[in-house]
Amino acid sequence: MDGVIKKVGVIGAGVMGAGIAAQVANAGVPVVLLDVVPDGAAKAVEKMLKTDPAPFMSKAAARLITAGNTERDFDLLADCDWIVEAVIERLDVKLQLYARLEAVRKAGSVVSSNTSTIPLAKLTEGLPERFAADFCITHFFNPPRYMRLLEVVKGRHTRADAVAAVSRFADLKLGKSVVSCKDSPGFIANRLGVFWISCAVVEAFDQGLEVEEVDAVIGKPMGFPKTGVFGLIDLVGLDLMPHVMASMVGLLPAEDPLQAYRREQPLTARMIAEGYTGRKGKGGFYRLNRAGGGKVKEAISLATGDYRPEIKPDLDLPRDLKALLTQGDKAGRYAWRVLSRTLAYAASLVPEAADDIAAVDEAMRLGYAWKFGPFELIDKLGAAWLSERLAADGQPVPALLRQAGNRSFYRVDQGRLQFLGTDDGYHDLMRPEGVLLLADIKRVSQPVLKNGSASLWDIGDGVACFEFTSKMNALDPDTITLLGKSIKAVARQFKALVIYNEGSNFSAGANLGLVLFAANIAAWTEIEQLVAGGQETYKALKYAPFPVVGAPAGLALGGGCEILLHCDAVQAHAETYIGLVECGVGLVPAWGGCKEMLHRWAGLGRLPKGPMPPVAKVFETISTATVAKSAAEAKELLFFRPTDGVTMNRDRLLADAKARALELAADYTPPAAPELTLPGPSAGVGLKMAAEGFHRRGLATNHDLVVAGELATVLSGDDADATRPLGEDRLLELERAAFMRLLRHPATLARIESILETGKPLRN
Amino acid sequence: MPAYKAPLRDMRFVFHELHQADTLLAGLPGYEELSADLIDAVLEQAGTICEEVLAPLNRQGDEHGCLFENGVVRTPPGFKQAYDLFRQNGWTGFACAPEDGGQGLPKAVNSLVEEMICSANLSFGMYPGLSHGAYLTIRRWGREDLKKTYLPRLAEGAWSGTMCLTEPQCGTDLGLVRTRAVPQDDGSFRITGTKIFISAGEHDLTDNIIHLVLARLPGAPKGIKGISLFLVPKFQVGDDGSVGAGNGVSCGAIEHKMGIKASSTCVINFDDARGWMLGEPNKGMRAMFTMMNGARLEVGIQGLGIAEAAYQGAVTYARERLQGRSLSGAKHPDKAADPIIVHPEVRRNLLTIRAGVEGCRALGAWVGLQLDVSHHHPDPQTRQNADDLVALLTPVVKAMFTDFGFEAANLGVQVFGGHGYIREHGMEQLVRDARITQIYEGTNGVQALDLVGRKMGAHAGRYLRQFFHPLAAMIEARIEDETLGPYAQPLAKAFVRLQQATAQIARAGMVKPDEAGAAASDYLRLFGLVALGYMWLRMVETALPKAGGAEDGDGFYSAKLNTARFFFDRMLPQTAGLFQAIMAGGASLMTFDETWF
Repeated sequence: MDGVIKKVGVIGAGVMGAGIAAQVANAGVPVVLLDVVPDGAAKAVEKMLKTDPAPFMSKAAARLITAGNTERDFDLLADCDWIVEAVIERLDVKLQLYARLEAVRKAGSVVSSNTSTIPLAKLTEGLPERFAADFCITHFFNPPRYMRLLEVVKGRHTRADAVAAVSRFADLKLGKSVVSCKDSPGFIANRLGVFWISCAVVEAFDQGLEVEEVDAVIGKPMGFPKTGVFGLIDLVGLDLMPHVMASMVGLLPAEDPLQAYRREQPLTARMIAEGYTGRKGKGGFYRLNRAGGGKVKEAISLATGDYRPEIKPDLDLPRDLKALLTQGDKAGRYAWRVLSRTLAYAASLVPEAADDIAAVDEAMRLGYAWKFGPFELIDKLGAAWLSERLAADGQPVPALLRQAGNRSFYRVDQGRLQFLGTDDGYHDLMRPEGVLLLADIKRVSQPVLKNGSASLWDIGDGVACFEFTSKMNALDPDTITLLGKSIKAVARQFKALVIYNEGSNFSAGANLGLVLFAANIAAWTEIEQLVAGGQETYKALKYAPFPVVGAPAGLALGGGCEILLHCDAVQAHAETYIGLVECGVGLVPAWGGCKEMLHRWAGLGRLPKGPMPPVAKVFETISTATVAKSAAEAKELLFFRPTDGVTMNRDRLLADAKARALELAADYTPPAAPELTLPGPSAGVGLKMAAEGFHRRGLATNHDLVVAGELATVLSGDDADATRPLGEDRLLELERAAFMRLLRHPATLARIESILETGKPLRN
Repeated sequence: MPAYKAPLRDMRFVFHELHQADTLLAGLPGYEELSADLIDAVLEQAGTICEEVLAPLNRQGDEHGCLFENGVVRTPPGFKQAYDLFRQNGWTGFACAPEDGGQGLPKAVNSLVEEMICSANLSFGMYPGLSHGAYLTIRRWGREDLKKTYLPRLAEGAWSGTMCLTEPQCGTDLGLVRTRAVPQDDGSFRITGTKIFISAGEHDLTDNIIHLVLARLPGAPKGIKGISLFLVPKFQVGDDGSVGAGNGVSCGAIEHKMGIKASSTCVINFDDARGWMLGEPNKGMRAMFTMMNGARLEVGIQGLGIAEAAYQGAVTYARERLQGRSLSGAKHPDKAADPIIVHPEVRRNLLTIRAGVEGCRALGAWVGLQLDVSHHHPDPQTRQNADDLVALLTPVVKAMFTDFGFEAANLGVQVFGGHGYIREHGMEQLVRDARITQIYEGTNGVQALDLVGRKMGAHAGRYLRQFFHPLAAMIEARIEDETLGPYAQPLAKAFVRLQQATAQIARAGMVKPDEAGAAASDYLRLFGLVALGYMWLRMVETALPKAGGAEDGDGFYSAKLNTARFFFDRMLPQTAGLFQAIMAGGASLMTFDETWF
């Protein structure tokens, strides 16, 4: 086989199997999904179409799945290049299945198991040599679309090119970061993750903390997700934990530190027995008590075992991690106990479970959403300090920690990030071929331009990269100022520009805090200047003498969406969530968003003729603050053009965007300014009537109606006349005027305040 | 010192004509019966007692001071009789709820009455003022049985109240409070500790004194989150409200002060004294703040009261004192010399006080009315808006009014010349009495920090909206107006300065808190001047149609317009200097090495 995977089979249509199949389909690759239950696979696909968060990036992707049954349709696997087994965790069932597979699958195809508990060696026992050579473990995380970690375990007999083919496919097509693991129980992420959770739970009972206190200590201060531990268990399911624990400790030697935390808590056992299994059950450590028609957030008291209203922990939690670990009070003692044991355990996993520390860190960041991997955390504290404190606490100091001594696990040498290997030497952290990270570029160079909110970087080959650097990548006057300067600089010194950053979100839009503050002090002139400045700068970007490629990942909302609408092309990460959400905060898009969307739908939309259909379509999209839930959906809504590119792997986004930019630079002419034919006042009235209909049916609030009215005025072209097309400046003027009117409205200000303070939209 | 005359004409103007308070208050549940006539009658009566009873006692109170002997404090001669009369006429229960035996009058009216009391006799006003603070706090946070026992007696003035916050080691930083409270089986607490600077902590005016004490429960968290509030009577109180034996509360000493000498400022010792908790454990600061916000507004009004008294004294003297001749030729050739009121410098002093007094009176009444709206309006959004405005303007009123009161008292002395410096005329007493108002209830520096640190950034500037929006709208609507334009234009300039300074401090303060701290006092002053400008523009708009007409027989409206002109020409421009100082930043303050001081 040529190692290229063109068709995939997945056996077992449970949550994991079905999710894996969906992600393969998301990549545009045909996939066969078989289940032992006759209609199981088809039903799983149906169910996934209604699941939130959605396993499919677009409904169209579901059509790439051929659903079938393991008895009747086993032959469908014959032409699959890769077959993933995700059936029940029973060795006998799996072995039987593999034996049947041997009769069907084509030569050179790869088989992998999604097992999380069975050692690879056992899975190939008694099977022919061909099978062992084509077999490996591919351990996905739930949900397979969203979790970026894929643990791959290679057996003694596995062909290197089989693993390479699967890894390449997982990387390029499924967007996964592949971490190779040893064939040891729980691999990397679950091994350490389960230890961390068990340790946190047992210590909480022992030290008499309440669940809220635990989650406050364990969450944010250490860079763990803010669900903390008990929130996480509620999410995973209380009943699942004992199974995972049992299978893992059963395989681990008696002296493994995890054994010490294998302790059944009577409270947990009782909760499981009574159906309090977490979010999927009647509630877990946290629950929403709806008794008496109320909605009271409650938590179970670890001390009494009874539910009571959620408490706000009264703990002193310093920002500095070391200060927390040494402060000696309840929070400090608990934090030290859990973190020191967890970090020591992590250090003991190299090289037993992982080849190097970088693999452990990557696994925990991507598999458990830790902000920092355990070795990054150790570097924050100092390996020597941790060793000393562990020893003082009567704990064994793992060899790796001792070996590190006074050194850090990571260092930067001549701009290259290096990690400390088990051979006691530092090694460059190698990126897979074709991966280009701005973080790496930044380590070895100075920005071309920079201010407090953005930077311009030289990313080589004549391409520049504009990066947002403000908090949450919110757009503010400084961003716009630097963008203006960058356009001039790129025109002088570069061939093309990419707009990209490595924040968790591309940009959730303008800095609403600034806007609200300025509105509160009635600084209307300044605000209008900011709006006009943004419009002018985005326009300058669009008509610049060089191509601009937007490369978003994560949220691209409001002003963050509008900047992309002004790019010549977009190369988007598949997980991009884009939308013009201004109406949600009582405003209308006013950095050219209305204008660009009208232009797109008029030119690219497959709509009936005439000026009205694009207006109605854009009105519908913007007035409901629709957000595309993937790059694929963004194309359907024309936030992206059909010709825009999609990159599955986040780490490959910049390289793809750069390539696209160079491609465009080869023969570039800026676009011509559009003329828009808009229907005028009668259409405006029509749209407002439609909004009033929603209002009467209780689907739109009072202020929704006000906002929709302003949006209708803009999109219909106000006093426009369908026989006389408008220039884009007129549209910008309408956007600006509507924005300013709405910003003076107290209901709009209340909406913005609500979003800023609670993160929740206000439906006023 | 000439006799005090209550400024009833200007109060009526501010209340009825400018703010249309009677209509506004009549729209609030509970105040439907309130009419302009009723309010006027109340103000007149208050004026009478202040003019005839309290003002004449002021100087002898200062001369005599309070006496401390064997743990007992005696107020100056005449104070007890005056207090009894004050009580009998119902002034202690004036703003208390009818169910507690009070008259249920609004806060805004109370503010005007307080101004008169403070003009007449600031020391005297301390006693009922503190009682009312205690009354409000118990009413808001006390258990039913406590309310039943204590509120009627505080309302009728039979008992008085205090706020016991300060200790030797802690003033501004109340997190350092050490006084302990130990819970008892019967639900009461035993309080032990020493409090200092307790105004009205001990005196001979009432049968019992109810102390509200900040203390710490056993094992309470460190700092401000571990403070609880307790009610501790001086004498034990029976179930029937009878006053019994001592309760372990004693006065250790009284302070010898610069001013308000007739107000007793005490060291109070609590020795296993029995008390009851108000509000929740460790939430004492929250409970205390209901009292403190009101108290801060009242202290602001004290500044206004002093300024009014200084104005009245200075004007009378300036008319009577004959010295020299007018620079432009004799104005009263029949006399040996012209009265000094002909001189520009004297007029500048007088008008500075007058423009400040009338502006502050208008602003104080606006805030007082909004306080009533924030408590009583049926619509929650309206209540919220009013509450936002009160929260924003409380530090401005407290600090600007009291700074101004002190400046006014000083200018009053200046008009008197050497006769102001000697005690006989009572003008120097005003300077000394005014000085404390800039310090207690949160120093004016702390007020400025409250404004830039807490109030400015709260909810992304939402509090600011209730002030900036109406002002911006008013300027927008009047700036082109033929008659109002000349007043609105300088205000527009000052307002832009305020906007820019606000944005600058918000921006700089977010990155470097010291920058906000360095700008705070100048900013509060800038804010205050713009707020006065807003009031003046509104007063001009109210007075314009009447000036020179039939209603202007006494020249009240013409004088109002002229005072406004003075304010816009001669006082508001100070905003330019303040603005420059703010925009220059705080570097020169903070780069100065500590050892160089």
